[in-house]
Amino acid sequence: MILLDYHNRIIEDTLKARFNPENKPKLVDMSIVDFDGVSYHISTLENQETKLLLSIRWKCWPELIQYGAESVLKREYSQWITQPEVGYDFSLLFDLENIGADPEDVIRKVSLLKRNAMAAPFERAFDAQALAEKEEQWDPTTSQLMTIHYREGESIFIQNQQDRVTVIFSTLFKEETDRIFGKVFLQEFVDARRKPHLQHAPQVIYSHREPPLEIRHLPGLEDSESMGYITFVLFPRHFVSGQVREETISRIQIFRDYLHYHIKCSKAYMHSRMRARVSDFLKVLNRAKPEHHAVEKKLASGRAFRRT
Amino acid sequence: MSKPNFRKIDIDALEEDAFSLEELEQEIGETRPRHEVEALVGSRAQEVRSLLQRGNIGAALAKSLEDPPYGRDFDAAKERNTQTVMDVLNSTKSSDVPQLVKELNPVDQDVLMKYLYKGMASPEQYNSGVLLAWYEKLFEVAGQGCIVRVITDRRTV
Amino acid sequence: MSNTLRPYLNAVRQTLTAAMCLENFSSQVAERHNKPEVEARASKEVLLNPLVISRNDKEKVLIETSVNSLRVSIAIKQADEIERILAHKFTRFLMQRAESFVILRRKPIEGYDISFLITNAHTEQMYKHKLVDFIIQFMEEVDKEISEMKLSLNARARIVSESYLSQFN
Repeated sequence: MILLDYHNRIIEDTLKARFNPENKPKLVDMSIVDFDGVSYHISTLENQETKLLLSIRWKCWPELIQYGAESVLKREYSQWITQPEVGYDFSLLFDLENIGADPEDVIRKVSLLKRNAMAAPFERAFDAQALAEKEEQWDPTTSQLMTIHYREGESIFIQNQQDRVTVIFSTLFKEETDRIFGKVFLQEFVDARRKPHLQHAPQVIYSHREPPLEIRHLPGLEDSESMGYITFVLFPRHFVSGQVREETISRIQIFRDYLHYHIKCSKAYMHSRMRARVSDFLKVLNRAKPEHHAVEKKLASGRAFRRT
Repeated sequence: MSKPNFRKIDIDALEEDAFSLEELEQEIGETRPRHEVEALVGSRAQEVRSLLQRGNIGAALAKSLEDPPYGRDFDAAKERNTQTVMDVLNSTKSSDVPQLVKELNPVDQDVLMKYLYKGMASPEQYNSGVLLAWYEKLFEVAGQGCIVRVITDRRTV
Repeated sequence: MSNTLRPYLNAVRQTLTAAMCLENFSSQVAERHNKPEVEARASKEVLLNPLVISRNDKEKVLIETSVNSLRVSIAIKQADEIERILAHKFTRFLMQRAESFVILRRKPIEGYDISFLITNAHTEQMYKHKLVDFIIQFMEEVDKEISEMKLSLNARARIVSESYLSQFN
């Protein structure tokens, strides 16, 4: 499995089971997690097992609201939005007896809740670029630099220019191994566009420790050896309205987790190789020991004598 | 009357058979003072250089291995002499090495082996590749015993 | 550069064979004690001259002998950052399993990446020439393993980046 899913599998499976008319309504109380510190809570209302409440909690929620998340959420989930559950940022309420004509579509949408919540700043930047493109004299200072502190110590920065949209990831490499493996991976991302079949991919720029020009002026940037910055330069062909735009938003959002997932896979692979090597070495070393043949000793009379 | 601090006496040092570095010096048998040894090494270096210039590699090699400065306090002389030997080794054509090695007497072969290891101990300074090539050829004629003698001989270069 | 590999390994093999002459020898310093003298270093007369065999300034082997024990320390080739971290991980992995390796030392000697300690007890239980074989094979395999791990990392990086970016087409 190379690519990560954009949606949450557990929500998908749970809703599939609960929405299935063949399954009797039952008590549900599940706490689920997702990448980037997101928590969900799926539960049935008190004494009403046909009513299913799904809530999400994400520490960057206020920032997402600031960048227009509410309108996106209303667009996607309008009829299910309800008062947020205590301790959560946003909630949806489903009536299991009244899901509607297309439960599959509902399940798909809800499992993309995290993705949709973070879609707003991207949509805003893409739309801003489309407008800027049309202007004769575009003023760069009108471009909004959006910052989303979506996980501990790491952020996403989005800004539009007249002809492109830049997305910058700041990421932490907790171990030196991660940093060095990360460098190998990211160098390939940077070099990928040289290949003929990838010349239209977004441009990727990697910088270790030094923040890119676009965000250097921001306060609160941590200066440490374990920091890395990855910039994606998206051109209008990457976010053409419709399927292309939706895919790009989903794909860019998952980039950080994709990178770190593969770093961990590499470490696990190295580990299993080393384990195999060690057992090989031990086999060779064992060959250094002389073999002990079970020597059968004979007494003078000819009887065999076996030592226990 | 204060009792002597008998508990702190290093009894092992007073034992008759105790190994002392002075005994080691006697074993090595270098009686000349440092400046004399250094002068010797210096003049030998010049002799070797002129032999090399005249193309007489065999004689240069034998001369460089003659009377190495053994002993504890002769580090400068030892370094100088090592350089002299290395100069000879580096000036030789690889095809000549087997013959040169065969022409050395056993004592000189041992000394050469000592210098090969000495050179390899400073790979930033001396060319290990050249030394390994000499090592291969020397081992063919001098054998394992030569190595054992380098390990055990207290007279180090 | 690779044409010095065979001479280098052969030199190590021959030196090891010469140095691996170990016999039981009780400590002269502490009664009833029997320690590997190359580690204890208490009596100067039982320690023999240490030898270095080097291929270049990054790859070398230090062989220290004494009457009853031998220490072999290896400096592994590490051409870049990636090889450095892979070598470090690998040697650490090995050293954590020193007990099952018997002849491996838990910590390398200063200036080297990994060290072996062979005592007379080991040479009594195992064939000497096979022990030497093992160390030489070890040296070759470690270099090979690090190269292969580096190659696989680069290959994986290529696949990971292509899989991701090709989706934008």
